[in-house]
Amino acid sequence: MTALSIEPGRLDALGPTGPYRTRSRSTVPDLAGNPVAELSLVPRLYVQRTMAALHRARTLPPGERDEALARAGRLFATGPVNGLSAEHYQRMVSRVSGMPISVVRAATDAIARSAAEAYGSTRWARPYGAVDDWRDPATREGRALWVRRGDVFAVHAAGNHPAVHTLWLEALALGYRVAVRPSRREPFTPHRLITALREAGFADDQVVFLPADHAVADDIIRGADLAMVYGGEDVTRKYGRHADVLPQGPGRSKILITGEDWAPHLDVVVDSVSAQGGTACVNTTAVFAAGDPRPLAEAVAERLSAIPSLPPADDDAVLPARSLADARAVEKYLFDRVGDAEILLGGDGIVDDLGDGIGVLRPAVMLVDRADASQTGIELSFPCVWVAPWSPGDGVEPLKDTLVLTAITRDGELIDRLMAEPTISNVYIGDQPTHWMAPWVPHDGYLAEFLMRTKGVIRA
Amino acid sequence: MSDAADPVLDCPVDQVPDGEEFIEAAMRWHFDPRTGSPFWLARAKTLDFDPRTDVRTFADLRLFPDVVDEFREVRVEDLVPRGYGSRAEVIGVFESGGTTGPPKRVVTLADWMDRLMHHQNRIMDAHGYPRGADWLSVGPSGPHIFGGLIEQQADRRGGFRFSIDLDPRWVKKLIGDGRLDEADRYAEHLIDQSAHPLRTQDVGILVITPPLLVRLARRDELVALVNEKVRVIVWAGAHLDPDTRVLLRDEVFPNVKIIGNYGSTMIMGAVSERVGLGDDDPCVFDPFSPYITFSVVDPKTRREVPYGERGQVVMNHISKNLLLPNNLERDTALRIQPPPGQLGDAVADVAPLAVFGDERVIEGVY
Repeated sequence: MTALSIEPGRLDALGPTGPYRTRSRSTVPDLAGNPVAELSLVPRLYVQRTMAALHRARTLPPGERDEALARAGRLFATGPVNGLSAEHYQRMVSRVSGMPISVVRAATDAIARSAAEAYGSTRWARPYGAVDDWRDPATREGRALWVRRGDVFAVHAAGNHPAVHTLWLEALALGYRVAVRPSRREPFTPHRLITALREAGFADDQVVFLPADHAVADDIIRGADLAMVYGGEDVTRKYGRHADVLPQGPGRSKILITGEDWAPHLDVVVDSVSAQGGTACVNTTAVFAAGDPRPLAEAVAERLSAIPSLPPADDDAVLPARSLADARAVEKYLFDRVGDAEILLGGDGIVDDLGDGIGVLRPAVMLVDRADASQTGIELSFPCVWVAPWSPGDGVEPLKDTLVLTAITRDGELIDRLMAEPTISNVYIGDQPTHWMAPWVPHDGYLAEFLMRTKGVIRA
Repeated sequence: MSDAADPVLDCPVDQVPDGEEFIEAAMRWHFDPRTGSPFWLARAKTLDFDPRTDVRTFADLRLFPDVVDEFREVRVEDLVPRGYGSRAEVIGVFESGGTTGPPKRVVTLADWMDRLMHHQNRIMDAHGYPRGADWLSVGPSGPHIFGGLIEQQADRRGGFRFSIDLDPRWVKKLIGDGRLDEADRYAEHLIDQSAHPLRTQDVGILVITPPLLVRLARRDELVALVNEKVRVIVWAGAHLDPDTRVLLRDEVFPNVKIIGNYGSTMIMGAVSERVGLGDDDPCVFDPFSPYITFSVVDPKTRREVPYGERGQVVMNHISKNLLLPNNLERDTALRIQPPPGQLGDAVADVAPLAVFGDERVIEGVY
């Protein structure tokens, strides 16, 4: 393992006139509790002034945005940023979040790719009838012009996975000025990304990094035209009715296998549960299988039990780590809610003590006896899966409220109903892991559906 | 019953009595059956020490129990020392905000107010407050001492006083009920009102709570008016964090002097920011010794923390008017060495006591 500096790093806010270091700071600890960075927390007044500055700022022309995003992505993934190499950055993220280093590396590449493709990705969301510029000859006959719903976009980011920061790049590509409030647990990724964006050509008043306390966080949203907020059920409840706030709530991704022969699909199930350390919203939370689900659940448990417990910095690590106290709290949370489910894997405990106050979260597999068991909605940030029986009589009901549903079935009529179900965001048919993504495929709708609107234009 | 004058307690307003002599005199006054208040005379019976013999120094004030909660229920008549006889000149009954229960009350008498105002006048001169300027107060009036003190100050410095009333209890109720939108509307309503005198009158001194000042700073027109007209912004009534203080001073109101006041109903007054602080100094409040004094303590041991460290603030008010020692406030502050000859501590960077960490969120991946 590369030696890391003992001195805590300094993460300033990145405001409209450059870095801003506050007196009020929060310490970002690694899993063992050692301070790794001092994060400046901005006061409300600074938020107000920053958001006002974003509203006053100009927007880069589309071509320049596209190029600057691609440059920033390359810099983020390969270059030194703020004197920090990509390797050092990745180790830091792994060290504070407990995410396996290989997952952080892959996320770094994903961010670079998303930056390069951000502008192109938005093209997929543009309505067929819309043009980008009123000067387009088509507007002489009357057309839709694709325009922003506002100018300033705010993000309350999450710290569960660095690739959370791929999505808002599309807002920059569309010409929004963007304010990101980082997670206090893992602020390194947005700090590095925004620094890279600035080095690549975005001005200080076009994209800002605003670490802030809870008390001030709402001011960032209030000061923006539109906002995206990551969180759990509470966030969905709080902002669900705000037309100007897009909640990124629970994923609760699921797999449905309607045939009795599950064996050929075991790889997809195991991969969907455990890829990326099970920390993403697109990881599978529940599997529904026709017939007796026990053999499938046992097979999944057997495969997952073979994953070794390794420190997150190990190249071969697959499982996420936490501080021992956090890991124990997750364990207790799970055990308190198992209820009548049968624990096939993890029943003796899901925490492997690595020493130094660090614990690995080992996979958990639970079997429930009916499709509508409420436990199947419990989504935890490690490989943790609920296996349930399903029969055609259960229908779509237990599959609702799902970010990604992989439906391994040939029943076209069932697929029709899944497609029609409004609370299922994505349906993947066949052996496709739930964590599969592509720039041209929406994640939870295209973000641009939220950011843009059409305006009727005709030139007489 | 006659006014039993005490040469130490009644010393001329421009003199500062010796600390220990003063404390001894105050104990004689408040615990002598001829001069003490019915409240303290009754309370003395339950003390396991005799204040008149056992309390001689500042450190001895720690012998007193924290009686501040009893000020919620006591009849105000019983708070006036008998030694004032029938000639007690009452300025007003003031009440605390009611954050922690029913309000606490004090009775403020004219001799104390004169003494406090004499002191504050001197500090205002040293800070360069203009005389004859008009004052605008945006903060609590009603039963709260905030408005009462500003009224006195403006009168004594020869200006007109405009005031916008803030009812802090209503705001706390709205926030407690989760009606944040209404609290927000109410605050906007206050700023709307403050715009009128700022536009039309010669406001030279603006007294305002920090949250309202930050809110006012959202409006470019009002920021311009304040920078153009106002010479001194006085913040009081709530906390101002050091980062916001610097932004206000350097970026929002560069043409205006910004001065903090730290006070409370339960010390029957406020003290002003130390004169002559440098740009990088924390906001230091010196005591008005020996009347309004502070200690910064570890709440578990009630012992002073080392200088420069943060602890909880203990407040004392000792005057002929009132004895309210050893009151543990819901504030924390850095402990600072006071100027020579002052009792207790100076305090800096006062902040609210409640420091809540992020709740541990378990379910979900975010």
